Amino acid sequence: MLRAILRDLREHKVRVAMTLAAIALGACAVVASWVVSDSTIATLAAGTESREGVDAAAWRGDEGILSEADREALEDMEGVASARSVTAFRAGLIGPDGDLVGSTTPLDMTGTGWDDSGRFSLVEGRSPRAPEEIAVDRVTAEQAGIAVGEDTGVLLDGGHIAEVTVVGAFDYRTLGEHDADDAWVDPRPDVVFDARSAQEHTPGFARVELAAASGADPEQVSRDAESVVAGASAASATTLAEVSDEGQRDAARELRLSLLPFAGIAMLVGVFVISNTFRLLVTQRTRHFALLRAVGARRAQVRATVVVEALVLGAVGAVLGSALGAVLGPAVLTVLRPGEELVFAVSPVALFAGGLAAIVTTVAAAYGAARRAGSVAPMAALREGTGEPGGVRRGRHLLGAVLLLAGVAAVLATSSPSEAAASRIIGLAGAAVSAVGVLLLTPAFTRAALGLVSGVVRNGAGPATRLGLRNAARDPRRAASTVGAVTVGLALVCAIATLSATFASLIASTTEANVPESTTVVEPAAGDRGALVPAAEDPVLESTDVAEIAALSEVGTAMAGSDAMARIDHPGGSTRRVVSAVDPEGLGTALTPHMLEGEADLDRGVIMAETQADMLGLGVGDRLTLGIEGVDLETRVAGLYEATEMSASVFFDVADAPHELADRVNRVHVTGPDPQAARAAVEEAVGDRPDVMVSDRDALIERDVERQQAGFMVMNAMFGLVILVAVFGVVNTLVLSVRERGREIGMLRAVGARRRTVHRVIRVESLALCVFGGLLGIVLGVGVGAVMQNAMLGQSLWTPTVPVPVIATAAAGTVALGVIAAVWPAGVAARTDPLEAITAE
Amino acid sequence: MTTHAAVRTTGLTKTYGAGPSQVRALTDVDAEFARAEFTAIMGPSGSGKSTLLHCVAGLDTLSAGRVWIGDTDLTGLDDDALTVFRRDRLGFVFQAFNLLPTLTARENIVLPLELARRRPDPEKVAGIVDAVGLSDRLDHRPSELSGGQQQRVACARALVTGPEVVFADEPTGALDSTSSAEVLGLLRHSADAFGQTVVMVTHDPSAAAYADSVLFLDDGRVVDSLRGPTADSVLDRIKALEKAVR
Repeated sequence: MLRAILRDLREHKVRVAMTLAAIALGACAVVASWVVSDSTIATLAAGTESREGVDAAAWRGDEGILSEADREALEDMEGVASARSVTAFRAGLIGPDGDLVGSTTPLDMTGTGWDDSGRFSLVEGRSPRAPEEIAVDRVTAEQAGIAVGEDTGVLLDGGHIAEVTVVGAFDYRTLGEHDADDAWVDPRPDVVFDARSAQEHTPGFARVELAAASGADPEQVSRDAESVVAGASAASATTLAEVSDEGQRDAARELRLSLLPFAGIAMLVGVFVISNTFRLLVTQRTRHFALLRAVGARRAQVRATVVVEALVLGAVGAVLGSALGAVLGPAVLTVLRPGEELVFAVSPVALFAGGLAAIVTTVAAAYGAARRAGSVAPMAALREGTGEPGGVRRGRHLLGAVLLLAGVAAVLATSSPSEAAASRIIGLAGAAVSAVGVLLLTPAFTRAALGLVSGVVRNGAGPATRLGLRNAARDPRRAASTVGAVTVGLALVCAIATLSATFASLIASTTEANVPESTTVVEPAAGDRGALVPAAEDPVLESTDVAEIAALSEVGTAMAGSDAMARIDHPGGSTRRVVSAVDPEGLGTALTPHMLEGEADLDRGVIMAETQADMLGLGVGDRLTLGIEGVDLETRVAGLYEATEMSASVFFDVADAPHELADRVNRVHVTGPDPQAARAAVEEAVGDRPDVMVSDRDALIERDVERQQAGFMVMNAMFGLVILVAVFGVVNTLVLSVRERGREIGMLRAVGARRRTVHRVIRVESLALCVFGGLLGIVLGVGVGAVMQNAMLGQSLWTPTVPVPVIATAAAGTVALGVIAAVWPAGVAARTDPLEAITAE
Repeated sequence: MTTHAAVRTTGLTKTYGAGPSQVRALTDVDAEFARAEFTAIMGPSGSGKSTLLHCVAGLDTLSAGRVWIGDTDLTGLDDDALTVFRRDRLGFVFQAFNLLPTLTARENIVLPLELARRRPDPEKVAGIVDAVGLSDRLDHRPSELSGGQQQRVACARALVTGPEVVFADEPTGALDSTSSAEVLGLLRHSADAFGQTVVMVTHDPSAAAYADSVLFLDDGRVVDSLRGPTADSVLDRIKALEKAVR
């Protein structure tokens, strides 16, 4: 039996190849996602080879420092062989553009002094020996575009910039960047001075690293250290390494979880292609199965032949796809993180997961076809032809219609922008349910739409166009599952594009509503270090910076804003939100929140984004408590303003904020009697500083939009894979249709259709399928996107921003898709010999 | 050159394969099919009668020899030219699967005209539709027609371009006797009423009896011919042939 199946597969190379491609792409996506996340973490972990000779470390949290006396006390402890002090201070590397280079390390810990403790592994040049020499972290330098031998600047504490020469590059071996409480312990420094110069930049030490005496327990040593030095924390090197490993495993898992859904979608589309192919295969072999039944095969046996066929195909596709994914994953990573020395990790788990997913998907997708094969009556062997498959199943349509209506009802019921989180989720689920409904209804839509189109063009077009259209509409179920893959792909792209476009215009419109065009915005400069690496904590300006700006004669108002994560206790419960302490004086001049309700008067309480207030169930005049860094602030809601969920959502009076918060400024809004002059003065005063960025409303909008578009770009690239899978589906269906209709095409040739005409017939069929699938996908996508922006951005359901460029590209893409998918099947059809019409059995 | 011949072959030879396994389907066939006449080709299975039809109709290529339809030498035409020639100057009726299932009867009938981008002459189409007697079934799909009706639609399609020759390959092979009689009567009528040249392959002596003359093939050669055949006279010849073979 197995031999017969294998021979059967060999004889249909084409359909096998196309189906394999679809299976393999799905497996490939799974494996590639896995490899990308594993490799990212492996790359990060590559530098974390454990350091010899350090058994424990002690530090004082919150930027506190240790003294030489502390070091001596630690060294004198029982069980300690030696104690080495380590400095850490502000030493921000300035890139060729004059701005600070982005870093994963907090700015105040970017610098340290060179030592031979094994912390540094020199990869190029030499160690720094003079005050004007530095060594830099290799990856940081590569990303900033700074080479050994070049001159650059380093931003030191107090805004002083040191002119230095890069003499070496190193890789850093950390003890572990964080402790178990997430406090910074040994982050990777970017800039290393010689030991003596380093000591001049900081009054004490960030950390003391201890070597245990032989036989001493590092855990005991670290416990003792905490009691010897008051207020210090300590941990053994083993503990720190464990925390670090745990963190990396978490990061890998998180990254994997964010990538795997895309792989899942690719698989889902693969299901359409695979199930459609198998259905065609079974139809083609109806007589073959009937014969098997006639000679005594039971239903289950016939069914098993198809399942085994799927297993074989799934297994081969799994192997191919896993191999492809193992190659593609690293390739993707190389593109995403250029210039980095990457470590690639292809785990057996990844290969196994991808392979298993492929096999399970294939067998599941083929099972429907297997059941159909099993239900072939023995009598079918005697009947003429393969028989046109019957019409569309009513049950399927009924279910589709019910799902569609239920989904739409759920969406409409929860479409008010002020709905709570739970009903937003119901709305999203409603969108998903109606999408499934639409997919179930596709056969009906296909028949109606293509029927309508061929009715319209009945007299206007030549016979090739008419035949192509009719062929496309001929078997609505086959057309529907071919079209389904295209529809899903385009719907995903358009849904995300709609969400993205709405988000972008929302960012623009709310920033426009709240920030006057004339206002100058001063922010701390922060470089992003790539999407896959979590950024360090937000850099901040200091209150002295604000004072400097406010002192400028051209500046009328310099409104500082300090953000903090606060606990908000409200009647409905307690939640955490970013809040912003601002100077009430600036409200109305430098910052003009677009008030929807109440007043922008911080004396009366806080002003809050309307979307947030809706979620928390708060209205103007309601009481709430802000818990900020240990201080509780009883207040009321003074007013509601228009905002996105991206910007800080609660403004309160800086006078009520804890002192430390007011010292950390996230942005300054500046204006003056002559806004132009104010901006010029600010530019003049701080524009050259590497840690400060001067911008305005439009630049703010542009940056925020760019930042969110980047995320969506990655998504769309992943959906490209889905559409590729869909192409295979279309090609597959067309080739099989052409084979099936060999006699018909031969007849067409016999009565005088040229090869060119036959070519056109197939091309029109392909175009009809693709364009219809595409249009359905676009409509579905924009609809789902509208629900997404309604549920996720709290906007009205009826006013999404329609992503016209994306839709235009998608529409053009489906036309191209149709033409490309037809090339090969049309070639096959055009080569049909007219004699086939007559001589075929 | 006899001018009354619509179709003429000289030295027509068709072989399949090469070397020792080579099969000769037709050997050196010289034949003529008279204009405005209904000619039947008969012979036992494997005698090469269908191959002869395919070759003279420009559906299959020759190994050697020539085929003229009217004054046109088919052997000199490439695929596109041959296609256009078939479309404009020949008509076909096959045993089964004659019609495109997605087109209605009317659309099937005018398909060759549309492929040629010629506007169907409504009167002529109506005349042919009348002759085949399907006026009330024109908007039906082939799957809604009986086998006999389908073959009559195929005949109408073959006649609609006003071809020089209509080739029919076992047109009644899949029909019951009543439907067969209708189809054969239609072909007979087209020769009588429109002066249509018809060449038909059949293995059924009673079908051949509708023709003006019968050409007998055996083992790839023309072995006999008969004018004014009846079912009995054709049957006698066939029996004689079979006896001669044994």
